[in-house]
Order: sequence, then C-alpha cells, then structure tokens
Amino acid sequence: MFKTIDLLGETLLGFFSQVGDFAVVSGRTLAAIPRRPWDFENLIRQFAAVGVNSIPVVVLTGLAVSAVFAVQLAFGFKQFQAQGLASSVEGLAVVRELAPVITGLMMSGRVGSAMAAELGTMQVTEQIDALECLATDPIHYLFVPRLLACLVMLPLLTGIAIYVGYWGGYLILVNVEGQSAYTFAHEFYKLIGIRDLRIALTKAMVFGLIIALVGCWRGYRTRGGAEGVGNAPTSSVVTSSLWILVADFFLTKLMLV
Amino acid sequence: MSAVIEVANISKSFGPKVVLKNVNFQVEQGESLVVMGGSGTGKTVLLRIIMGLLEPDGGHVSVDGKIIQQLSIPELFEVRKQIGMCFQMAALFDSMSVAENVGFALKRHTKMSPKEIQIRVDECLAMVGLKGSDNLRPSELSGGMKRRVGFARAIALKPKILLFDEPTTGLDPVMTDVIGRIILDLKHELGVTSITITHDLKSAFAIADRVALIFRGECIAIEKPDAFKVNPHPVVQQFLRGDADGPFLQDPPPPKRNRQEANV
Repeated sequence: MFKTIDLLGETLLGFFSQVGDFAVVSGRTLAAIPRRPWDFENLIRQFAAVGVNSIPVVVLTGLAVSAVFAVQLAFGFKQFQAQGLASSVEGLAVVRELAPVITGLMMSGRVGSAMAAELGTMQVTEQIDALECLATDPIHYLFVPRLLACLVMLPLLTGIAIYVGYWGGYLILVNVEGQSAYTFAHEFYKLIGIRDLRIALTKAMVFGLIIALVGCWRGYRTRGGAEGVGNAPTSSVVTSSLWILVADFFLTKLMLV
Repeated sequence: MSAVIEVANISKSFGPKVVLKNVNFQVEQGESLVVMGGSGTGKTVLLRIIMGLLEPDGGHVSVDGKIIQQLSIPELFEVRKQIGMCFQMAALFDSMSVAENVGFALKRHTKMSPKEIQIRVDECLAMVGLKGSDNLRPSELSGGMKRRVGFARAIALKPKILLFDEPTTGLDPVMTDVIGRIILDLKHELGVTSITITHDLKSAFAIADRVALIFRGECIAIEKPDAFKVNPHPVVQQFLRGDADGPFLQDPPPPKRNRQEANV
C-alpha cells in the first residue's frame, strides 16, 4: 500500500518537475530572443533546415490529404445530391484545419525530431558543456534560432499547404468528379474570409512554438548515451504531436467565438 | 603570490555515492596543479564544479576572488571567458570545421574582423602543431588531433586559466608525450594558471608545480612533485608504483599469477 503511494507520489513529482523545467527553459528561450550577439548565419541555416528543406514534404502531404478529403466530400455530398457544396467545404477544411494541422504534425516529425536528435547528441558528447565553457548560453545559441525559424517558417509552410490543398481538391473535384473549373475556383473561397486565414496562420505559429520548444528541450535534457539520444526524438514527436492536437482544439474554440 | 583558484570544502554526491568530500586547495597565479586519482574518484566532477557546470552540495569555488556559485548567468559567462576548458574527448562541434571550432569564441565575444580571427586561429593551431588543418572536420581527425584542436579552441580567447580534463587518456605513448609537451609549451608561452587531470605520471611530473591525489573523494596529498614522490602515504606509494595490491582499490584485485601459471 505504502509502496503504491510512494510510486504514485514519485511519478507525480517527476511529472511536475518536468513541467516546471519545460516552463523555465521556455521562459529563458523567450527572454533570450532579443539578446546579443545575433548569429545571422546560424539563423539562416535554421530557416533553410526548417523551411526550404521541408517544402517537398509539405507539398506531398498537403496534396494527398486535400485530395483524399475531396474524395470523401464528393462521396458524402452525392448522397444528398449536394455535390456543389463539396468545393466550399473543402476550402473551409483545408484553410482552417487540414493545412495548419497536417503541416504541424509533419513538421513535428521532420523538424522537431531532428532538433531533439541533434541537441541530444550534442548533450551526450559534451558539446553543450563546451558551449557553456566558451561563455555561450546554449539556450541563446541553440534554442533561439530554431524557435525563430519555426515561428516564421510554419506559417509560410502552411500557406504553401493551403495553395497545394487547392490543387488537391481541384484534381479530384474538377478532373475526377466533373465539376467545372470556374465553379470550383469560385466555391473554394466562398466560405473563407480573412479571419480564416488569420486562424490558420496563428495556429501555425503556435504549432511552430510547440515544435521548437519541445524538440529543443527534449534534446537538451537527453541523458544516458545512445539510448537517451534514441529516445529523445521519439519522445519529442509524441509530445509535440499531442500538444499540437490539444492546442488546435483550444485555438479553434477560442478563435471561432 | 595570490590564489587565482580557491576550492573550499567542496562536497558532491550523486544519490548515495559520495564523489567529493571536503576538498580544499588553492592554485596560485601562474601555477600548474596536476590532480591525479583513480577512475571515478571525482576529478572531472571537480573541474566541472570549478567551471560552474555542476553545483556542489557544500563548499564553494572562487576564481579571481569571485565565488562561482554566487554569480548570475551573465557574470558566470564573464568569468568563463578567462578560463579555457579542454575536455577529455575534446567535445569539438562536429558540425563545424577546425577553424570554425577554434574561432568560435572569437567570433562571438570579440569585435575582431574575419581576417583577424583567421590570423588568431592560425596562431592557436600553430601552437598545438596543427597549422594548415583549418578546413578539416572533427570526423577527419585522430584522437590526438582532436585534443589538440580542443586546446587551440581553449586558448583562442587568451584565457588566464586553463583546465585540462585527462588530455592524454586513450592516446599512444608517443602522442601522450606530444600532448605533455604542448601543455608545457602553453604554460611557458602563455604563463597561465592551470589545473590538469591526468593518470600519466611522466607528463604529470613534467607539467606540475604541485601534484594532488584524490582518493575516495578526499584530497589526501597536495605537494611539490619531489615531495609527492617520497610521500609515505601507502595510497600515494601504491599509485606511484601502479600496483594492484594495496589500499587503493575498494574491491580486492584478482590474485597475481606468474606467466607460467597463466598459460596453463
């Protein structure tokens, strides 16, 4: 009985200690953003790693998801002889949900895991200690450029996913289902306003924040050699994906009020 | 002479394992202290506490009169600019070239132009006998070369203090001698205060102004090399002989066999 209480207490304390540590590291990262020296070379490298190198993944997943969603919509609306609504709903779904969430989830797998693995390797090979000894704050040098890259690039990638999503829907609804190209182009944007684009880009920024902070934090706190480095990316992807989905719900609820 | 580094009553445990117990010593300006001891006796932990990478459970370290454990993060970084740390496995940044590694601190903490940085990088690499290896990546270097690049990186900012963490571990005897000579050269050319952790007695006595021995977390001897060699403490004598029999090991070693017995 006491053993169970002990174990429960230890688990709870461990959980809260991790949450506290994450909050402290996140706070230090945000506070370090305006601090000098600014390393533009490092920043540009991160922009390329997070943004440019992710374009093929985002294009492919954006296209596939919007196309499959269009297939489902066409099939569903056909039951009620309301095929005309498919384009509008496709537009709404792609802009508000599919593009930001799919981009976020894909980036947590591609970028967040890479950050965790890179920082984890640096941690176990004492490179992070070496940074400290060279009077360089690892949070400032490693976390800040990755965070800025995610904050800027996730919305841009989401923009690309929306654009590609349009063509995914076009491919199915126009080329396969036989809607006219003019109707599709008109209907796709019918239910979308500036507010929807704002919702999508805000979500993308929040997802970028989650991906960078979780990925860097997991890597920074890696312990235990090869096994620890192996666990860091997995744990980073699982944690950030979960938080992306939870944050998506709350952001949608808050921003649609 | 004034103490540049003062280690006062440092204690550190990891869980139930006591690593350091009330360790006290001072290192004076320009002095070279060599710290020896068995594996896992807390020598590296001691260096990490001096650098402020680890918090001691008790006691404090002061560098140039500033107590490391009481400094804010920016103040600690200012003190670290005066200390060059050479890691056991070099800890080079593997995404950067040799020149980028050596010039890292110069680029971040000085207003030197890229040309001036390159000149200083070449100077540092020449000091460790690696001139012309600027564009190599850490993965293309041997163990000894990595250590030497680590030294070059540590001296780039012209620190007042150098800390060497087992700089010769895992190297062949010739390279061990090379590293010993480089440390000696750095000591004479730069006049720095240094703490070196090593198991290699030959280079230890060549480098050291004083030698310390840590045994089961305690500093049991700290004296000039000549006095250290004749210290009657059984642990000191066993360490100098390199013999498994004696009080040094906690667990008894396997029995000594002669060659004929071993071949049976």
